[in-house]
Parts: sequence; C-alpha cells; structure tokens
Amino acid sequence: MERSALPVSVQDKQDRLAELLPRVAPVAFAKERMLPIVDALAPLLGDGLVRGSILGCRGGAAVSVALASAAAASAAGSWLAVVGLPSLGLRAASEIGIALERLVMIADPNGREAQLTESAWVNMMSAMIDGFDLIVVRNPVVSNAATVRRLQTRLHVRGAVLVVVGDPGPFSCDVVIAGQSGGWEGLGHGSGRLLRRRLTLTASGRRLTRERRADVWLPGTTGGIEIAEPLSPGEIDIGARRAG
Amino acid sequence: MRLAVIRCPDWSVVAAGAPADEPAAVMHANRVVARTAAAAREGVRRGHRRREAQRICPTLRLIDHDPARDGREFEQAARSIAEMVPRLETTEPGVLTFLAKGPARYFGGEHAMTERVAGLIRAAVPLARVGVGIGDGRFTAGVAARHSSRQSDQHPVIVDAGRAAARAYLEPLPVRLLHDIGGVSLELVDLLLRLGVRTLGGLAALPAPDVLARFGGEGAFAHRVASGGDDRPPGTAAAPEGLTVVRAFDDPIAMLDPLVFTAKQMAGELHGALAVDGRVCTRLAVLAETEDGERSEHLWYRANGLSVTAIVERVRWQLDGWIQQPGGLSGGVVMLRLTPDEVRADDGSQLGFWGGRTEADEWAARAVARVAGLVGEQHIFVPAWQGGRQPDDTYRWMPLDRADLADPTDRLTVVDVPWPGQLPAPSPATVLIEPVQAEVIDATGEVVRVTGRGALSGVPDAVALAGRSMRSITAWAGPWPLDERWWDPDQHRRLARFQLTTDDGAAMLAVVENQRWWITAHY
Repeated sequence: MERSALPVSVQDKQDRLAELLPRVAPVAFAKERMLPIVDALAPLLGDGLVRGSILGCRGGAAVSVALASAAAASAAGSWLAVVGLPSLGLRAASEIGIALERLVMIADPNGREAQLTESAWVNMMSAMIDGFDLIVVRNPVVSNAATVRRLQTRLHVRGAVLVVVGDPGPFSCDVVIAGQSGGWEGLGHGSGRLLRRRLTLTASGRRLTRERRADVWLPGTTGGIEIAEPLSPGEIDIGARRAG
Repeated sequence: MRLAVIRCPDWSVVAAGAPADEPAAVMHANRVVARTAAAAREGVRRGHRRREAQRICPTLRLIDHDPARDGREFEQAARSIAEMVPRLETTEPGVLTFLAKGPARYFGGEHAMTERVAGLIRAAVPLARVGVGIGDGRFTAGVAARHSSRQSDQHPVIVDAGRAAARAYLEPLPVRLLHDIGGVSLELVDLLLRLGVRTLGGLAALPAPDVLARFGGEGAFAHRVASGGDDRPPGTAAAPEGLTVVRAFDDPIAMLDPLVFTAKQMAGELHGALAVDGRVCTRLAVLAETEDGERSEHLWYRANGLSVTAIVERVRWQLDGWIQQPGGLSGGVVMLRLTPDEVRADDGSQLGFWGGRTEADEWAARAVARVAGLVGEQHIFVPAWQGGRQPDDTYRWMPLDRADLADPTDRLTVVDVPWPGQLPAPSPATVLIEPVQAEVIDATGEVVRVTGRGALSGVPDAVALAGRSMRSITAWAGPWPLDERWWDPDQHRRLARFQLTTDDGAAMLAVVENQRWWITAHY
C-alpha cells in the first residue's frame, strides 16, 4: 500500500495531530484569538496581534517597536519574556507601557546574552511558549527547519505571539514591521534635550494584501508611542534628505 | 540552644581558587559578591559594579559566579569535619552550623573543640580565612564567627551561655549585622539607621510591643535576636513523621545527572506534601548511600524555606562534592533519601482574592519553573526598582534566585522621591552593559574636554565609537554634571552627561568621566 510506504515517526504524527487540533477545536471568536495593541499601531496590525503568529521587527528602533507592539497586551495582563536582549533599558520599557511585574528575561548569569546550545535554546523556547503570551527574541539560535516548524506549531496551539527583533533566521514572519527614523526633535546645538523621534513604520507580510504605513512618535515626549501626523509633501523632502 | 558556626567569608573566591594576595573578585549580575583580601585592601567592596571595581583596582581579575562550584567545593571542606561532628548543617556555601554540646563534651570543652574544628577546616581549605564562633542561637553564633574570621589570628570567639551574656556581647555591634547575618531585609536596617538606631543594643533597649507595633513581624524578630533571644522564625517546628521521601535503585547509579533528575521528582513530592498543609521545609536532611554502605548525610538550611529548585540545587552540591572526592566512590548509589527536619508555615506566596493571581500568572510561573530546571535559576532575571540618576540605576535586573516572581511588590515598589539630576523621559531603549569608549572631537580635530566647572574646550563636531569610523554630530546638548556619593571617598563619582545625535539618525547618551568619553546608552 502506498500509505504504509511512508516512514512516519511518532514525532511527525504528533506534530500533524497538533496541526489539526486548531482546525477541529471549537470555534473561537476572532477577538479571543487576538492580543490587544496600542492605537498607534492599528493602521499596521488592524485589531491586534493574532495569537500564534510571528511578528518581525527590523530597521531603525526595532527594539522599541517590538516593545510598543507588546505594550497593550502586557498592560492587560499578559506575560512577556525577553530572550537575547540583556541590554534592554527597563525605564524605557516601562515608559513604553510594559508592565514590569510581568516581564522576565533569560540571560547569562553575568547579565549578558545567554550562550545556549541549539537544543537547550529550543527546549527553553518551548517551555516559554507554554506559559507566556508574548516572547521577544533576538538572534534565534536555531537552524533546523523541522525544529522551527515544531516551535511554530506549538506557538499556534498555545496561542502565543513571537516577536523577532532583527534577523528572523529560519522563522517565517506573518508580518514584518520595518522602521525608518525621521529624525529627533528637541535637541539643538548645545541646548535642549531629546524630546521625541519621528518614525515611519511599514508593515508587509503574507497576511497583508498591500504594504501599510504609519507615522508615529516613538519614543514620544513621555517615552510611549504616539500617533504622528504624516508629513506634508514639502516636509517629506526634508525628512528624506535628513534620513539619507 | 548552644550552636557553633564556622564561617569562611568570601567563599566564592576561595572556591574559584584565587589566592588571597591576588586582587580578584567574583561577579554576579555585574556586581561584586566576593573578593580576595588583596582586592579588599585596594577598596573593592561587595555590591560594587564592575566598572566601579575596575576603576578602584585596575588589575582586578574578574571571576564568573558559579553557585554549583561554591557548593561543591564547600561540600568537600565540610566533609573534613563531618566525622567528628554529627548533624552538620550547611547554611549556605561558606557557612556551617552544628550543635556545640556533644562535640564540646567529647573534645574536652568548647575551646578545645573549636580549635580542633578550625584546624581541620584550615587544613582542608588552606586559601580560606576561617572563623569559628559559639553562642546561644544562630544569630549570636553567626556574629561571633564573623568576629573571629576578622581577627588577625582568627581566634575562635565564644559567647557565654545565657541571654544576658548574648545581649551584652551584641550590644555595641552595628544593626547592619541583622541583614548580613540575621537575614533581615535591608529596608528595615536602613530605616532603623535613619531613625537613629545604630547598634543592636539600641534596638534591644526599645520596648518590644512598640517595636512590633511600628515595624511588624520582621521588626519583632529583629528585636528578639538583637536582645539575644530565640531566633527561630515563629511557627517553626520539628517536622512531622512520615514525610520522608526515599528512592532505592536496583541498578546502582554512579552518574550525577540521573541522581539529580530523581532528586527533582522527590523534591516535588516533598514540597507538594508540605504545601497541602501550607507549610514549607526550612531544614532538610539529604542522605545518599552506595552499594558498599558508604554514606553521605548532610543537613541544609534556608531561612526562607526550600523551594523545589533550592532542594535540587543542594542535592546537586552535596552529591557532586561527594562523587568528585579524591579516590572517588567505591560503587554506585543505591539509595537517596530526603527527610524534612524542620518546617514552618509558608508565608511566601499565597493565592490572592479576586484581582490577585490570574491564570496567566499561574501559567507563567509554571513555565519559569520549567525554564529554571532547563537553564538554571541564575539565568532568569526580573526587573527590580532601586532608584538613581543614571539610566541603568533606576531599575536593574535581579536574578530570580533572589526574587519572588509571583509577588513583585518587594522589588517593584517605587519609592516616590525625586532624584535631582535624573534625565527626564524619554529614556534610552538600550542601556549598554559595558559602556563603549568613544572619542568626541571638535572642528579642529581636538578631543573635547570638560572642565571641573562644566565648560567645554570646543564644540562637539564628530564622534567615533571604539573601533568604528567617525560620524559627524548633528545636534547635541550638555554637559549635565553629576556629583554622586561625594560623602564616600570610595564611591564618589563625578561625571558629565551629554546627548548626541549623529548623521545616521542615531541618538546616544555619552558620559565624560576622568576626561574620557564613554557611550552608555542608545535611544
């Protein structure tokens, strides 16, 4: 028989079952499959972060964008784990809106990036996915495509959201937000201080029919993310020259 | 209860094999946790940051913190006296506690016994300083041992029996010892100091009911130990019978990892059985036996109660030291036994009413426990507030083995005091763990200098980070001077801060200290 010719391991079967599970599970309303986001990111992400999805953050201010996308959910009671970002500024995180009481970081005992083997990293990630709604990762330590698929399936079953900062490696992101800095306001020549940064964000990905754009202040004057008025055409020229 | 305490201060550097005449320090989470005598002479203190310590002593050798190494090495030292002292308890790596009465009678008096014990420990660990103290209760004996380790001849210190003698001995000593030895929180000690209570005698002189009313249970405990009273936490009792967890192995096991794995299950059972009644184990006996009848029995103590992870960690220390002893084991381990020796009511984490712990909190706590088992508790960090003027001062990452995940009130309560000189929001998103040296030059190519009065030698024009090319500066502001801890010559820092943006759109926080530029954070 054709079927029996296929060498199917127990692990593969389990994975396939796990993939089927969300399809046969009782229907969940779309809202329950979403984590809330801040208003300023709504033009990019719609109603929220789809549980089980992977979000990529690249370009300028990728760390800030990753934190901003997790802020509303964190404030609403979700737990956030951070892996590979030991230099994350905690005061900035709290200004962006992360609930510090629900934040956990994995790092090396000296407060540097943890040096984990691939298998240790994968085990750690699967444990994290089981318990955390949001996981922000930089430099994923994984190369094996099958392992990545297993992690993605697990993410889907548990309904967690993975946010990858910088190079996503073998992970395929559902949405990628790229930031481009439009310059800082407030700092002069020997006067003033950094007040806010204009950031142009573009979202693309297989779930989006067309590229979406949004202008934000990140950080805004209080450190959080704020909606920015798009620049008028004349100003865009200046902005482009400044950025170039 | 007459207790003897053996104390090896700065055990971590001894365990790492650093000789006393070499300046070396063990770092944990960017802070000094132990240092050699040579480093102490240079002025390196516990709690110093890496950069502070290196500034004070540039030749300082930094050693990574490794609790497993500390535990393993200490277990080997403890074994040197285990034969003459029954029921030897490791309070923490570096501190041993045992009942003084039996051995003292056997060796002809407390004095003869302490000399003998100290001699054996010194022979086992020639690098360590060893202090031995005897007194009534854990705290008095611990203070006496610390006193002994600080004397030049490390002569044992024996405090006479009786509450009056203990009180008289403790009277002139600083309240800070309540934190260092008694395990009282630093907040309470700080508060006492600010209220003008500087010595243990001063605290003991206050009326006990008033101390309880003003400082709560912890204050009452501090008052009790300061006046030489019983220092067992309230609610402590001998463990009930029938809670012992035993595993016998048909096939002897000679490897550490499978034993530790089994211990993890056993610890879970034990912890679960106690948790049903809302209790936690504070003292635990761990016994392992080989097929030839060789035994390793040890008591472990932890005032805050032994969690599953803490139990597993201690079993690992004990077995690792035992298996690695010179000559090795005669055979595999056939039996492992955990017996709770002392339990008390668990006041740690209780489930709150509505709005307390949610399902998400439970899930996260479980995931963190699993990750701790996979990568070690010291790899997991949570934020803690500490206050300060620099971006890396306001909050810091605290390792989970010293923090409570479920109850963040202790670590995240923001004391609402202004920090004059702190830069307002927005704060930098990236705070560099080690500042990067940089060079900031003016239009003529000269390095920009800052005078003591805050004047600049030139206008900042370009910046080069160590190993990178020059970037021209598009905007800047500063210097904002900072003069911190001017009252303490060892911790005094004077620096000037700048904000810079460069032509590639980057914004950074720069610091000038001793006429050198550092980039400390990126916005």
